[in-house]
Amino acid sequence: MTGLKVELLTDMGAYLGLVTPGIPILGAFMFNAIYKFPAYRFVCTNVFTNKNWTDAYRGAGRPEATFAIERLMDELAAEVGVDPMEIRERNWIKHDEFPFSTVAGLEYDSGNYEAATAKAKELFGYDALRAEQKQRREAGDTVQLGIGISTFTEMCGLAPSRVLGALSYGAGGWEHASIRMLPSGKVEVITGSSAHGQGHETAWSQIVADRLGVSFDDIEVLHGDTQISPRGLDTYGSRSLTVGGMAVIAAADKVIEKAKPIAAHLLEANSDDLEFSAGKFNVKGTNSSVGLTDLALAVFAAHNLPDGAEPSLDAEATFDPDNFSFPHGTHLCAVEVDTETGEAKIRNYTCVDDIGKVVNPLIVEGQVHGGLVQGIAQALFEEAVYDDSGTLVTGSFVDYLVPSAADLPNFTTDRTESPSTTNVLGVKGVGEAGTIASTPAVVNAVVDAVRHLGINDIEMPCSPHRIWTALQTASSGADTPRTKTMVDDDVNPSHNAQVSGTDAGDGSAAAQGSNGQGGLA
Amino acid sequence: MIPAAFDYTAPESVADAITALGSDSEEIKVLAGGQSLIPVLRLRLAAPTLLVDIGRIRELGGITDEGNTLVIGAMTTHAEMADSELVKEHASLLAKAVETVADPQVRHRGTLGGALVHADPAGDLLAPILALDAELVVAGADGERTVAAADFFEDMFTTTVGENEILTRIRIPKHTGWGSHYEKFTRVAQQWSIIAVGVTLKVDGGVISQAKVGLTNMSSTPIRASAVEQALVGQAPTADTASRAAAVAAEGTNPPTDTNGDANYRRHLAKVLTGRAVQAAVSG
Ligand SMILES: Cc1cc2nc3c(=O)[nH]c(=O)nc-3n(C[C@H](O)[C@H](O)[C@H](O)COP(=O)(O)OP(=O)(O)OC[C@H]3O[C@@H](n4cnc5c(N)ncnc54)[C@H](O)[C@@H]3O)c2cc1C
Repeated sequence: MTGLKVELLTDMGAYLGLVTPGIPILGAFMFNAIYKFPAYRFVCTNVFTNKNWTDAYRGAGRPEATFAIERLMDELAAEVGVDPMEIRERNWIKHDEFPFSTVAGLEYDSGNYEAATAKAKELFGYDALRAEQKQRREAGDTVQLGIGISTFTEMCGLAPSRVLGALSYGAGGWEHASIRMLPSGKVEVITGSSAHGQGHETAWSQIVADRLGVSFDDIEVLHGDTQISPRGLDTYGSRSLTVGGMAVIAAADKVIEKAKPIAAHLLEANSDDLEFSAGKFNVKGTNSSVGLTDLALAVFAAHNLPDGAEPSLDAEATFDPDNFSFPHGTHLCAVEVDTETGEAKIRNYTCVDDIGKVVNPLIVEGQVHGGLVQGIAQALFEEAVYDDSGTLVTGSFVDYLVPSAADLPNFTTDRTESPSTTNVLGVKGVGEAGTIASTPAVVNAVVDAVRHLGINDIEMPCSPHRIWTALQTASSGADTPRTKTMVDDDVNPSHNAQVSGTDAGDGSAAAQGSNGQGGLA
Repeated sequence: MIPAAFDYTAPESVADAITALGSDSEEIKVLAGGQSLIPVLRLRLAAPTLLVDIGRIRELGGITDEGNTLVIGAMTTHAEMADSELVKEHASLLAKAVETVADPQVRHRGTLGGALVHADPAGDLLAPILALDAELVVAGADGERTVAAADFFEDMFTTTVGENEILTRIRIPKHTGWGSHYEKFTRVAQQWSIIAVGVTLKVDGGVISQAKVGLTNMSSTPIRASAVEQALVGQAPTADTASRAAAVAAEGTNPPTDTNGDANYRRHLAKVLTGRAVQAAVSG
């Protein structure tokens, strides 16, 4: 591959939100993805329209870029006649080439695409599924099998403040934390990276327990209320651990630093002779030690402190990252397409994510699952449909389809571990990985299932109607349009919403039976 | 959203309910399981002044065996029908269709009477009731009248049940020993039918002796696929028969176009699903 040229036309909707036009710009760094493009050009036109306004949504900018490049890799493979995995392997950055400066100007600190891919292929049964696909194609089965690949990476851990400034973003990218050592031996951790379900309370407690050697149960994480936690930015951009978590660590290290001279004073030792481990300051080579929580009580009493010492172990820290975080992974999806109805069903989904070191595997698993569902939903179900006059016709959950557990397979998830070299824990972000990776994996699988029938694109969400229409067009011998809408959606909401009044006048009339007993739902 | 204010009464007999419906409140609505009506009220697509809750009327409940006929009270819930041995044995198509409706919560509240009077063209119980040649008993101030299912549905969300009337029970001729299948096409598990096909048929001596086929959401009301029925009767229950019958499934239909697909696609689906439903009905 010699170059990549992106011309992006994006529909911003009606109003300028927090970062509305910034989202496609964030994507600008990611179209080249894991591949070694010698040349790259990106032109983006953001258009304001009379549709719903847009703003950041899980992944923001990176899903769009990842979708484009991962779909393209499949088309390129088809064009040159090689397996889509092979074309990726030939062009991706090798693990011994890290750190790698990309054509978009980022420095990827670590990664191992080979390892994640090898593991994913094995768990997925890639070769066996390809063999089954071949068999079904030859037999002309009604139900065809497609395999979709997404070897994604993304930039997260937003972000070095300097970079945000260069992008004219309004705020910085730092995060704040403080730690209060209570005389009771309990520890309060105040974080500006406020959790709304991501489990920071657990993860931050684990980190502080490890760092300070106090019990996990004695730690309380406080956040959210600006009277408690006045400084901080946000939980977004998969930044909490790589930025907020580092602020927590920096604050913990300051607590130890503050405690050390006081410990030396109480132990009647020289500061340089102390070592801190498992929650205790120990005079090297002796049994003489004092615990951090005991020190907290002694400092609170303040009866016997070194001259000039501040009677507090509390500390705060603000952390600004030097670089982004670059998680990656190999996602593989097998889809069965019923060529009679156009229905696409996911048979297996396997992903191997490399997010460096992991603090809490269960939380990571939850983030991956939720992200996958969100990305899969975009590929197959969710769509904001507008009519010709710009009226939203999918205005309720009757028409705006959100999948439930019943619509999805069991996911096979696993990890490889290439620690980040830009933070002390070696961690990378994971909050958006699933959303970014899964959409192209699914759409690639759908297209792959019917490619031999003459189809090379299906607009997402790949509804049964769209897939069927593509099949009809292909079998009629007409060229399948490459990227344009293939289905002339003569848009109407489905029966219920039509009644529920996207058009109030009509709607209420339809809702009323002539006998007055009518209604909807 | 919160519904507009309304008065509420919960009579304990059909007679009292009819009296309440005849009262001079401006707009009166019957409330059954509320699974369709309550959303309508909350979206303020309707703002009745009085709700007559028929949920406490004992005589509207129950599934009974009356010789050649199965009688289902209008207030029988979807869940009760799905669990009923009588329904499974004598009207298996209805039992199978009911399992595809919504989720367990909705099935425990929603009623057969409510589903039929609501008459949503995408509702799943209408086509089976039509295919099973049911009769619907409607009570009003002048007593009861019986309406054939074929005459019951007038248009989308519109039936012959008048403003001061109540659907009291559904009489289904027994289809004991008939095979059946309800093939419903949706994009997500919990969704109204994009379209669905209900087939019930009887095989005697290696030949399909009788066949009844109802289509969901292929018109503004549920419809019978008479051409399919004709193509099946007298034929051997083979794949070939199924595909010949399926070929005529879209005859006489007038399906809607919406975000789930256009009319043309629905006509195509009707054929595919009919073929599958016939095959499944033959084997069960
Ligand atoms: C989340 C959800 C999912 C659903 N999914 C499906 C689905 O997949 N398939 C499907 O078919 N349906 C579905 N439904 C609709 C459900 O089946 C309805 O509950 C049912 O159709 C209405 O029954 P009800 O007893 O709740 O009626 P109600 O909501 O109480 O009443 C409906 C209408 O009928 C009138 N009415 C009720 N009973 C009588 C009577 N005995 N005599 C005269 N008038 C009467 C009422 O005045 C009202 O106009 C769904 C509903 C919900 C909430």
